[in-house]
Parts: sequence; C-alpha cells; structure tokens
Amino acid sequence: MRFNPGRTGALLGATLLIAVAACSPAASTAPSEPAASTSPTAAPSEAPTQVARLRLGIVGDESTLNPYTYVTGFPGWNLLMLQYDSLMAIDEQGQPQPWLATAIDVSADGATYTLTLADGVTFNDGTPLTSADVAFTVTYFQANTQSRFTRALRGVESVETPSATTVVLKLAGPNPSFPLRTLADVPILPKHVWEAVTNPAEHTFDSVTNVGSGPYKLVEYNSDQFYRFEANADYFRGEPAVKELVVAKFADDAGAVAALRAAEIDMIVRPVAPEQIEILGAEAGITINKGPQFTTTMLNYDTTKFPFDRVEVRQAVSLAVDRQDLADTIYLGGATPGSAGWIHPNSPFFNSAVVTKTDVDAANALLDGINATDTNGDGIRELDGQPLSMEMLTPSNDSLRLRVAELVREMLLQIGIDAKVASVEQATWEAKVWPDFDVSKGRDYQLAVWGWSAPVQADTGQIAQLVHSDPAVGSINLTGFNDAETNQLAEELGVTGDPTRRQAIINRLQEIIADELPFVMLLYPDGAYAYRPDVYDGWIFITGRGIMDKISLLPPEARP
Amino acid sequence: MGSSSITGRLLQYVLVLLVAVTINFLLPRLMPGNPLALIAGADVGLLTPEQRQEVIERAGLDRPLIVQYATYIGDLATGDFGYSYRQKRPITDLIAERLPWTLLLTGIALAISAVVGTLLGALSAWRRGRFTDVASLGVMIVLESMPSFWLGMLLVSIFSVQLGIFPTFGAITPAAGYQGLEAVADVVRHAILPALTLSILSVPGVYLTMRYSMLGVLGEDFIRTARAKGLSERAVLLRHVARNALVPVVTVIALRLGFAFGGTVVVETVFSYPGLGRLIFEAVSGRDYPVMQATFLVFTIAVLISNLLADYLYPLLDPRARAAS
Repeated sequence: MRFNPGRTGALLGATLLIAVAACSPAASTAPSEPAASTSPTAAPSEAPTQVARLRLGIVGDESTLNPYTYVTGFPGWNLLMLQYDSLMAIDEQGQPQPWLATAIDVSADGATYTLTLADGVTFNDGTPLTSADVAFTVTYFQANTQSRFTRALRGVESVETPSATTVVLKLAGPNPSFPLRTLADVPILPKHVWEAVTNPAEHTFDSVTNVGSGPYKLVEYNSDQFYRFEANADYFRGEPAVKELVVAKFADDAGAVAALRAAEIDMIVRPVAPEQIEILGAEAGITINKGPQFTTTMLNYDTTKFPFDRVEVRQAVSLAVDRQDLADTIYLGGATPGSAGWIHPNSPFFNSAVVTKTDVDAANALLDGINATDTNGDGIRELDGQPLSMEMLTPSNDSLRLRVAELVREMLLQIGIDAKVASVEQATWEAKVWPDFDVSKGRDYQLAVWGWSAPVQADTGQIAQLVHSDPAVGSINLTGFNDAETNQLAEELGVTGDPTRRQAIINRLQEIIADELPFVMLLYPDGAYAYRPDVYDGWIFITGRGIMDKISLLPPEARP
Repeated sequence: MGSSSITGRLLQYVLVLLVAVTINFLLPRLMPGNPLALIAGADVGLLTPEQRQEVIERAGLDRPLIVQYATYIGDLATGDFGYSYRQKRPITDLIAERLPWTLLLTGIALAISAVVGTLLGALSAWRRGRFTDVASLGVMIVLESMPSFWLGMLLVSIFSVQLGIFPTFGAITPAAGYQGLEAVADVVRHAILPALTLSILSVPGVYLTMRYSMLGVLGEDFIRTARAKGLSERAVLLRHVARNALVPVVTVIALRLGFAFGGTVVVETVFSYPGLGRLIFEAVSGRDYPVMQATFLVFTIAVLISNLLADYLYPLLDPRARAAS
C-alpha cells in the first residue's frame, strides 16, 4: 500500500480533535440542574450526639493527605488536620486558642514563645507526643521546603526543649501573626515516623504510615472516589462525636448537590452557590448554615498609571458602585457589602468609624472637579485629552464575578467611565494582574475584578502585604499602591505585639484605605453550607472560615 | 495484503503517533498560565524568590524546551509518564487505577450501541418509508443532537434524585465494604446511568450507517436475483442483505471504539465517575501538564488502535478488499 497523505491527515485530525475537545472548558460545562418540587418541612430538632457514620462530599481529589501531598488550602488543609494537631487551634470566633500547647508565654520583646504541652497526648500508634516531636517538626519543615508549613516556620531561629513538655521557640523578631499563622496552622509530625522519610513530596503514605495525634485516622484512600477516616477514641480533647467519616469525591458541584438531595451524602464541604441556597434550603431534610466568610470580591486597578493614578478617579469609582445592589442582585442577599476600609464588618478588628457610601452625584462632582468632562458628547468623560475608557478583566470560569463585572460596568457608565468587561481565561487574568505571582514584575492591566482567599482577610497582619509599596513587604500589593504613611504603619504593624496599639494601627489603616483606595472592596460572599441535620447537627460556623473544621466534629466540651 | 504493505501501514501509524506525541508535548505548554501556582499551592505569591526558583528547577520548567522534549520522549520510551504536579503520585498509577473504569463504561456502551444500532437500522431499512422507519429515524436524529452533559444530568435528576433507583455518582458506594456478588451488583448499579448516557449518544451513528448501508444493498442486482430465485424474504434479508450491509457498520463500530474514550470526558464528569475522562477534566482545569500529556496520549493511542483494527477487519469481512491489495 502506498503512503496516503489524505488518510494520515484524517487520522491526525481525529486525534487532534479529541485533544482539543478535552482542552475546552466549554465541553464540560454543566448548568445547575432542574429544581425539585418538594415542600419544605421542619428539620428534626433532636440532634444526635453520637453518630456512627457521616458522609461528606468534596470536589476533586486531595491526594494522599499528608502534610506534603494534600492539594488545596481549603478543604485539603481542613481534612489534613483531622489527622494532626497544631499547638493552637482556631475557636468559633476565628481566634487562636491553646490546644496541644496549654500555656503560651510570649517574652516582652515578642520574639520568644515558651509553650507547655498538654499531658498524656499520644499519636494514634500509641507513641507519646513530646517536645522532641515539636522540635523535629520545626526542623523538618524548614529542611524539606515543598510545603506551605516551611514558610510558616521561616522566622523561627531556634527551638529548645528544656523538658519533655516544654518547647521554647526563638523568632528572628517579633511576629504578632505567629499564633494564627504558625502555631494554629502547622501540624505536629511524629518524629519516629517522619525521620525515616527523605523525600516527603514523593512519599506516598498509606494507612499504616499515616500516624498523627488528631481526632481521626485515615484508614482508606481511594483515588478519585473516597477517603474513610476512623475516630481516635483516645483523643486527648475527648472522643469525637462522629465515629466514622466517609469523604466522597465529586467532579463538580452539581454532582455533590444531586447526591445530597438523594441522601447519598450528608453534607457538602464547599459553600453552596447563591442560586442553590433557596432550592436546597426548601428541600425536606436539608438545612443551610449561613455565616460571614472572609473571601473577598474587589476591584483592582493599576494606581501607577492613567487614570487610576488620580485619587479622585479612584474615589469616584468607590462612590459610584452600589455594594448593597451587588450583594442583593448577584448573590441574592448571600453576601455582605464591602467596607471601603477592607476589613469585614463582622471582624473584631473592624473600624466602625469607616463609612462606605454610594453617591453618584458626589462621584460626578469629583470628576468634574479635576476637569474630566465629556468634551465630545459620547457619554464618556475625557481626562487630559484621553477618554476614561478601559478593559475590566474578569475570569471566565467564575460566573459570579462576571456578573459583578457587568453590573459594575453599568454603575461606572453613570459617572462617564467606560469599563468594558473582558472575560478571559483564569490563567490569563492571573498573568495580567499578577505576572508570575511576583509583584516586583509589575502589572499588565488597568482594571480587574479580583478576590483573595479567606486567610488574607483573617490575619489582619496581612494588610501590610496588601498595601506596602516595597515588594519585599507588600508581596500581594497588586495595585502598585504607594503611600508614605501607609508604609510606615504597615512596618509598625509587623513588629507590634501590644493589642491596643495594633488595633489603633489597623483602625488608621482602614481609614487610609477608605480614603486613598488602593483598591475598591466590593463585597464578601457569605458562606452557606448544606447538610442533613437528621444525620449530624453539631456543625459550628467559625467566623470567616465556615463549618468544615475538626472542631465541628468534637463534642462541645472538647472544643477550644 | 502483502507484507510490505503491512510494514508501510505500520510505519504510517508510527509517524502519526510521533506527531501526536509532539503535539501532546506542546499543547499544554502553549496554554496560558503559570503552573507555578499549582505546584506551590494557592499562596504562591508569598514564596520568596529563592523558593520560587527551587520549585521551578525541581519541576524542570527552567530547562530549554528541546531538553524538556528529549526528556519527555526518553521517559515515554521507558513507560515512565512522570509525576503528577497536583496529586504528587506517579501518573502510571493514576492511569492504571482509572483505565479499567473507562473501559467498563465504553465497553458496555459500545456493545449496546452495536447491537441496538444494527438491529434498529436493519429494521428501519426493511420498513423503509413506513411508520417504524420514520419514527425511529426521527428519534435517532433527536438523540444524536442531545448534549451529553444535559442528557446525563436529566437522567440523574429523574432516576437518582426523584425516583432513587440508581446512585447519583461514583463507580462504587464509598466505603460500603461489599463483598463478592454484592460488590459486583454495586458496580453494575453505578455503571447503568453513565453507560446508558454513552450508549444513547452512540446508537444513532451505528443506526444511521446500518440503515443507509442496508438501503444501498437492497437496491443491488444480486438481491433482485435472490428474490427471483424464489428465496423467502427472511432468507434474502438475513443471508444476503444484512451480511453485505454489515461491512461498513463494523468499520464504523471499530472507529467508534477510539472516539468513545473522548465521550467519557463529559459523562464521567457529570456522574463523578473515576475514569480517564474525569482525570483529563481535572488535569486540564488544574493545569497539571504531565497528567494532561499522559491522558491525551492514551486517548490518541486508543484512536490509533481502533483505526488499525478497522484497517485489518475490513479485508477479513470483504473478500473484494483482499483481492484488491
């Protein structure tokens, strides 16, 4: 047979077609499923206190769930911490409280932490947890860098163990975020297991080697199907309320919602989409637990370039957006309108003196005041001869942010600013706003809908990273904001441990942010979690974090 | 078919495979976005420049493209698909875990669509223009135009959520601890809806081919001869028409074998079925380059094998094709 280019081409075309079809996100987009016609009934009021088995649903796989292999910050870390303990733990208000360490003494200079460990804590293989394990954990994470805990421990210069229950951590300098970001975050590793592990990122743990001190032990890992955890009956804080946890893995949210409705799972770990809240809440046997979350939706712009280098333009944008309207229209009320000063109104650090208002007339007056007027009658203002017209980037895979962008566009048109919505692939959006995830490489955008994950808001110390003009400090200052007083306050915040002084600095920073507007805070989507209370009703909502945390699975007396 | 033509044809397949492998290597690298975020986790922005560099070096992303390519080909030759950025497990393990599930789904779907499509197509052609033909043709055209995710979600909504007959997701009931026959029954219950979705989507292709092929054969002179010989209608249809009409249908079914894999991407996602299709979906959305490359390659090989199969089956079925070469 002769070589036949036509046939070869067809073959090649066929293989390419498959590859391209698989690449296209549109190929797998699924709409929300049709609503069921069921009448609402009251949830049973009898809350079971001891539950034999609870089935949770997550989206995607979190791999083998050891500190080096889990995949996402949420819910990967939350699942990881079922098996491990940290020295402190987050309470219902989102604040760090004593846990493995029952006493935490901080030296006057804020740089030395002396911790006393709880008595009688053992790993689930029976080995006692001592100060040697804590010291080992610090040095191990520092030496094996492929983990988020390496960064959390970066500032620790030395660790001493004067006794089996005492640990002294010396930091390079004062770090007020240390309890929240490190002590309540880093899992304590069992030295006798991990000292033999030389390449943790490629070391696939199994149920035998997965040893921790936490309330649960991972006993079964089935890639892309489920995890099974068994309760640690000897847990040092008390026996968990749920004996067995099965975590089913879904490919997308719609699948998890269908499984919850069919009672094949008892709780969805991710927050439910706004349009599903009412539908699911009306279904018999399903309860929605709502509360404030610290994820953010905001407008970012390049404050070093036209036109957002003019503070009046930034102020006009902030005055023109109706945050309540965004929360009501797009999130159907399931969001908290943004405070112009960045901090969530439900946060204990919120400065109530910061006023956030919508005033289109005042916004127009501000722009008139800097001679930004519509000279050619097209409805769009011109400033210094250039029209106030730009692209507003938003990620194409996030329909909520796309709708935010579309509504914001309408709002800005009222003040003569033409922000064209550009829905781009998520990676392109990231690369333009945050090239190489490195602020020192600058920016390649004018305006974008942006958002941060909850930890950025939860740790008030992060304001420094958000607004300081030096990339070494302001590692997430994506808008190029540069203000002398802000820089000075941000530096002071990084070394101040005194709570009163910290609050004063945070209050002042919120005022500056609301006036100078390094970005426009739009809203904080609330968390709404769906579960079946007849199976387990012990969920508690941790401010800013939601309900999926090991303390939700512990009896009330065992919680921090 | 002579041995030289076999060699020629195999060479052709090897060439196509090489081109496909190269495209496979390049495609993910041409997509926008920085894989750093994925390797280092969500808070990549807080890494120091040194940590950043270390991450890039470890993944080999700082090496010239041609060096990465050479490494890729070398690893492939030794059956090493590399390591998943995301799952931090060997890709060979991932594929080995998922391939059986995809084979199960596509196998059932292919068998159902071959049997149902052929029988219905034959019936339709035999009853050409009558109610059976018009009705089934109409139904098939409607089925063919249905989006697979929509069909899948519809089935879940009706049979799982409303009626509670079949499970909504997965290949097995998580941690149910079933043994023996119970375990088999569990797998079957989970496979029914996704396999049904895949079957419904592939029946029309077989049906239409069979119908048109039958109609073509029915008009041939030798059929008139057979009828003239006084053979019963049944004998004419089975021995003469259907046998001859089947030749192109077998080719279509063999080709579908490869494409059936592609159809699993959407169906496995809708049903959260742990097969290769879902692995591709998750690799693409997570920009897990090595997994994308490996799974695309598996799909490519499936298409090539099915083509090869069609190439070799055809002369076996049709003596004319043997004589021609």
